[in-house]
Amino acid sequence: MRSQTYHDRANVNIEVAIAAFSASERRKRGRGDKRILELSQTLKSTFEPVIQTSLYPRSQIDIYIQVLQQDGGLLQACVNATTLALANAGIPMYDFVCAVTGGVHSTSPLLDLTLLEENDLPNVTVAVMPRSGKITLVSMETRLHVDRFEEIFRLAGEAGTVIHREMRRAVKDRTEQLVASMQSVGRPSTGADVGDNEY
Amino acid sequence: MDTVLSSATPSATDVNSFLSAAEKEALKAATFQRLHPQIYLERFLEEKIRPDGRSIADDENEDTHAWRNVEVNVGSITTTSGSALVRLGNTTVVCGVKAEICEPELDNSDEGFLVPNVDLPALCSPKFKTGPPTEEAQVLSERLNEVLGNGMIPLSSLCIYPGKSAWVLYVDATVINYDGNVFDAALLAMVCALKNVSLPHAEFNPELNRTICTRPKSDSSKPARKLIIEEDLVPLSFSFGVFAGSYLLPDPTASEESLLDTTISIILNTRARILALSQLGTGVDKSEAPGQGVADIPHTREADTLARCISLAKKRQAVIMKKVYDT
Repeated sequence: MRSQTYHDRANVNIEVAIAAFSASERRKRGRGDKRILELSQTLKSTFEPVIQTSLYPRSQIDIYIQVLQQDGGLLQACVNATTLALANAGIPMYDFVCAVTGGVHSTSPLLDLTLLEENDLPNVTVAVMPRSGKITLVSMETRLHVDRFEEIFRLAGEAGTVIHREMRRAVKDRTEQLVASMQSVGRPSTGADVGDNEY
Repeated sequence: MDTVLSSATPSATDVNSFLSAAEKEALKAATFQRLHPQIYLERFLEEKIRPDGRSIADDENEDTHAWRNVEVNVGSITTTSGSALVRLGNTTVVCGVKAEICEPELDNSDEGFLVPNVDLPALCSPKFKTGPPTEEAQVLSERLNEVLGNGMIPLSSLCIYPGKSAWVLYVDATVINYDGNVFDAALLAMVCALKNVSLPHAEFNPELNRTICTRPKSDSSKPARKLIIEEDLVPLSFSFGVFAGSYLLPDPTASEESLLDTTISIILNTRARILALSQLGTGVDKSEAPGQGVADIPHTREADTLARCISLAKKRQAVIMKKVYDT
């Protein structure tokens, strides 16, 4: 938006859309829905410091998230998807952002909770920048005993580095694919791989 | 443009010196497409080929390489009663069907409801901004509503108890990637999603005035059921565009779509009979020189184009049938 132009950096705009059929009850959520706005705001403050916005003054980076199905870990999935989409778009970032949910059942720690588990157990979402080990996001909306918190927090941070490995592999595979198809430029396509000729 | 690309002065244009000769050519072509889209497309069509490598549908060349690849994947969204993901080249549509229970209307007390809806979010294309549904989205939803409401799902089959309880099927399609011909893709997604729907067994209890549904597989005497579908009324759409009054382009992409002066949609059923037909525009202008006889009379020109479209659609339909019915 014109009014949000910054003279020295890019404006980051994140919008989340949740499909009506994504949850077990059909619910059409408008853009102004408070939960969705909160989610967008959380993501914006997570990614604004990570994207190298000073490289794109007076511009806007739009990030659109479409949720097709929900089974817990919504914030976690949004963070991971956004990281990969930004990498796919070629937007420079300082590091990946990898998120994982952690929870506890009596004394056993759990990672990556499903919807059923999230509704019953205390859980926290932690996003970490793997190279530096810095935590960029911690979000908890349930009550968790402070003695249990440290363990879950630490575990979720470590799990973030595991996710990071998978993300790197995916980005690497995609890059190899692109390089291979760039080398074969000039061959006719049937429309299915038109999108590979990205410049 | 040539001087900018080969400039040797240290500046922002220096990045072009890292491009190979082939990449520089591609950049020139991409710039040309942005500045002169009409001429860009004309140059391709004169060589009987389209920018993405497909053939045009001219008289000698009526094979199916004029259409983009179709991929269909059903049942992947488990929160829905039925779902489908359809890819038509790069155009990608996801459709989910949710079934709910409601009271039927007083006038049609033994009928359920079918509510199709298409969403064109800002995500799918730079031409859409966030906000209320655009005119295009509304028109698309309305066209799909007309086509699907034609009887493919007999509404009486959705009734649970006349006057008290019926199923309402919300068919929500979201376009994930917009690369032209969204109508065909969305209709295919909705049809495949409806075919994938599995409704739980429902019984209305008049004493409690409530409908009781049985969880699938929990009681073998009350199994889930598939929708009752009128096979003769299952619609499959095939769209064409006419460019510059001369070239017939099946399955237009987004860049072609903005340059078309006529769009034609042929809707066939599973036995390749015509269910619906629409032509917006004057079709192919065959007469290069006026006074050439039959081709000069306007209504034969249009009939000719339509006839060609119908025969192409019928050929393509055989291919789509295999995709849809083998999933």
